[in-house]
Amino acid sequence: MLLSLIVFLPLAGALLVLLAGGRGDRPDREGLVRNVALATSLATFAATLYLWWRFDPAVADFQFEERYAWIAEFGIQYYIGVDGISLLLLVLTGFLTPIALLSSWQSVHKGVKAFSFFILALETAMLGVFVSVDLFLFYVFWDAMLIPMYFLIGVWGYERRIYAAIKFILYTMAGSVLMLVAIIALAVAHSNATGAPSFNLLDLYGLSLGHGLQYWGFLAFALAFAIKVPLFPFHTWLPDAHVEAPTAGSIILAGVLLKMGTYGLLRFAFPLFPEAALYFAPYIAVLAVIGIVYGALVAMVQPDLKKLVAYSSVSHLGFVVLGICALNVQGVQGSVYQMLAHGVSTGGLFMIVGMLSDRRHTRLISEYGGLKAVTPHLVRAFLLITLASIALPLTNGFIGEFLILLGAFQWNPRLAAVATTGVILSAVYMLWMFQRVNYGPIRNEKNRHLPDLTPREWVMVVPIGAMAIFMGVLPNVFLRPMGPAVNLVIERVTGERPVGAQPTAAGRGGDLRPAGSAAAGVRADGQPRQAADEHTSND
Amino acid sequence: MIEYHAIIPLVLVALSGIAAMLAEAFRQPGERMPIAGLGLIGLVGAAIASVSLWDTDRVSFGVIRADNFALFINVILCLVGILTMLLSNEVVERDNLPAGEYYALTLFSITGMMMMASATDLLVIFIALEILSLSVYVLTGIRRRSVTGAEAAFKYFLLGAFSSAFFLYGIAFMFAVAGSTRLEQIGVALAGQATGPPQTLTIVAVGLLLVGFAFKVSAVPFHMWTPDAYQGAPTIVTAFMSTGVKAAAFGAFARVFLSALEPLQAQWIPVLAVIAAVTMIVGTVVGVAQTNIKRMLAYSSIAHAGYLLLGIIAANSAGRAAILFYLLAYAVTNLGALGIVALLGTPENEHDELRDFAGLYYVRPGLAALMAVFLLSLGGFPPLAGFFGKYYIFLAIIQEGHYWLAIIGVLTSVVSVFFYLRIVVMMYMTEGPEVYRPSVPATAVAALTLATVAVFYLGVLPARVLQLALDSISTIF
Repeated sequence: MLLSLIVFLPLAGALLVLLAGGRGDRPDREGLVRNVALATSLATFAATLYLWWRFDPAVADFQFEERYAWIAEFGIQYYIGVDGISLLLLVLTGFLTPIALLSSWQSVHKGVKAFSFFILALETAMLGVFVSVDLFLFYVFWDAMLIPMYFLIGVWGYERRIYAAIKFILYTMAGSVLMLVAIIALAVAHSNATGAPSFNLLDLYGLSLGHGLQYWGFLAFALAFAIKVPLFPFHTWLPDAHVEAPTAGSIILAGVLLKMGTYGLLRFAFPLFPEAALYFAPYIAVLAVIGIVYGALVAMVQPDLKKLVAYSSVSHLGFVVLGICALNVQGVQGSVYQMLAHGVSTGGLFMIVGMLSDRRHTRLISEYGGLKAVTPHLVRAFLLITLASIALPLTNGFIGEFLILLGAFQWNPRLAAVATTGVILSAVYMLWMFQRVNYGPIRNEKNRHLPDLTPREWVMVVPIGAMAIFMGVLPNVFLRPMGPAVNLVIERVTGERPVGAQPTAAGRGGDLRPAGSAAAGVRADGQPRQAADEHTSND
Repeated sequence: MIEYHAIIPLVLVALSGIAAMLAEAFRQPGERMPIAGLGLIGLVGAAIASVSLWDTDRVSFGVIRADNFALFINVILCLVGILTMLLSNEVVERDNLPAGEYYALTLFSITGMMMMASATDLLVIFIALEILSLSVYVLTGIRRRSVTGAEAAFKYFLLGAFSSAFFLYGIAFMFAVAGSTRLEQIGVALAGQATGPPQTLTIVAVGLLLVGFAFKVSAVPFHMWTPDAYQGAPTIVTAFMSTGVKAAAFGAFARVFLSALEPLQAQWIPVLAVIAAVTMIVGTVVGVAQTNIKRMLAYSSIAHAGYLLLGIIAANSAGRAAILFYLLAYAVTNLGALGIVALLGTPENEHDELRDFAGLYYVRPGLAALMAVFLLSLGGFPPLAGFFGKYYIFLAIIQEGHYWLAIIGVLTSVVSVFFYLRIVVMMYMTEGPEVYRPSVPATAVAALTLATVAVFYLGVLPARVLQLALDSISTIF
């Protein structure tokens, strides 16, 4: 029940928001609506933390499973569960949603009720995507997610919001409907093989697929996820969506939505079609590396803060995809880590940009300059998050990128070498941007009397900053639970147990030992599935 | 002794239609009479009768068969009728339509629709088709002073008469081939001739029947009447005919092609596949260019006809059940959407242009939200009825290995999302000029609530209805 509670708590809060808001647009109820929404999102976050506390990090399979027949005729189940990979993404979603709500405290005044409703509905859909073990259920959440995001961009966005909202929804749909065809084809293939259709991921993992379905199915899935990531050259919707979205939308979009693409590759596309995955992985990795360099170069020349951060996302997500394609313990663990780190630091960057834009109503870098003297606290927070985004050691970004490059190097040194330039370039564009915004003389009189962080903004900045450092200093807190699950994914794709557990970076941060070693102990008995079942039956 | 059970639902609706006519005859000029209430009584009675006939498989006169397939469609039609009655109550008065004629014609056409879905004889199907068509032609032009209405009705009538002739001609050829107009006997005769290539005469007969049905379900290239008729008719009539006629016509279409003409599958499936593909593409691509909402929804209904054709092409049990489910989902969704358009009109101006919807959210947030729900359901977003409708159709077609049709289907549904969202953009994201928004009467609120609940129910918990749909097809095919 715990997992269902987590998933549907935000939706319940969303309905409560509608009730609290009363009929029509009631400005007097605005405060109540905001508080109900914030309380719901905080309660959800607390519930995800409780989930983590109860989570058994030694188990590779799904935990907290809930299984009910939904449409028995077609083998569709309401089947949810978490493993080490989805657990952390759930926590990330829970962590970022309250911050997104807080970020709109000043900037959103039109239709607060509807705004809060859509944010919370979106959270339910996002959590649902991460916990679905049934492919059909996953698709329902995946597609349902588009609607609230569409409204968030389209109603509360900036000037070209309608264009951006439609582009966002059409791009994403175009990819995902082909995935729907592939999902149905998989279920039909299962039906032909065993006599009963099934959308259960665990059933489908073991299915031996024909050559055509293997390759076309993989391409359909990979296209849907590549658009979501977004992988070069499917990224063109992202800058528009980010630039036009309200701050809260950008935080969630960058923080969580993009991770769904990489999560989907890892959970669905690669293990479902292992043969095709191994065949296509080098090509995808090449696209990822192009994305790393291209995203960084384009970010460098952006005059608009939001656009710069958006292109930096293309670059950073390229690393994640590269790590997944490497298909070794370091690469995949690094990828999952980088998903979390990117969620925190890019979410944080959009939050900071939102704060600046709340003050000055512009996102152009050239409008700023010399903020260090005016808003010292804001600039310090900005600096911390910028450094985290550049992946300075002891910040969250470093662990992920380091592990990814390590994994990629073992797999394909040339790709890793090119990708490494992305690390350097990211320092160039981020620091240059930071310098233009915050240092130098105050060139624009409007900047002279900007207020520094308000208490509300402190509440947002502190958790993000703390998380950026915490993840950089104590990575094993996060690596340990994901280890067994990551090993299992690699084993499903490559067919052999990964040779993890190398003391890869033991010298750094004291405790950076890939959690693969913990997994090896569990998997040594050769019956991990059974162990997991016993665990869940206790629930 | 003659069995009468199978025709009870039809008779109830027909009686309420006659009652509506009589009420109009005795009505003093200017007197208000709850004629819609009479219709509601008949329709609810017919729905109850249909439900209680479930699983009995009664046959009356040897040509009207109340098997579960027919009863399922009967229930859809009753639902369409009930929603129409509830929505019409205010609209008829507002637009000063002749109430008695309006309700009587609506009820008679529902009678024809039910008959069409239950008939097991080609000639009876033809008679039913004429009953429903003639009523709908008149309903299309019921606004006597409206030029566009008259033009639409005339166009619809002329083209409809053509297609009826095709259909009748097809029946004649089929009689020549099989020696009967009973579906069962046609099936037996065709199965007997199944060895070797079919005769030219058979092919011609099937082709002519196909044209007749394709016209009624507005499949490309026989769709030309649809946009004009839908736009010219009063909106509430558009809502009624886009859902009711489609349900009845697809019921008969499926029955004829999947039972009597099943032995000739190899001949008609490729033809129908091309028609379905073109229908989906034309419906959505042309729909993108429309600025009138009724016309846009007309093209959308053409596209939906294309999806429904996929269910017939699949020709498996999933496809048959999918047709029934889709018809139900489409009926509640489209009636809801067009019902809202109808409610927002005034006698002088129908307010059916895209720009008339600008800023609706800020004036009528409730209506705008419901409209958005209906449009998203038409676009096939989960967890709404339209998503599951499309899903079942695609499942059926993929089971048969027609991947390319499924891919065209999903891609055109993305295109269709573009124009459904244009309306959402107008309602939510555009500031509009001050447009007079009439108040929504309680009966219409009831209808829209019913439709919304159905859209969510079919989208979230479709298992039970789907099971019923699967049960419905086992009896006849």
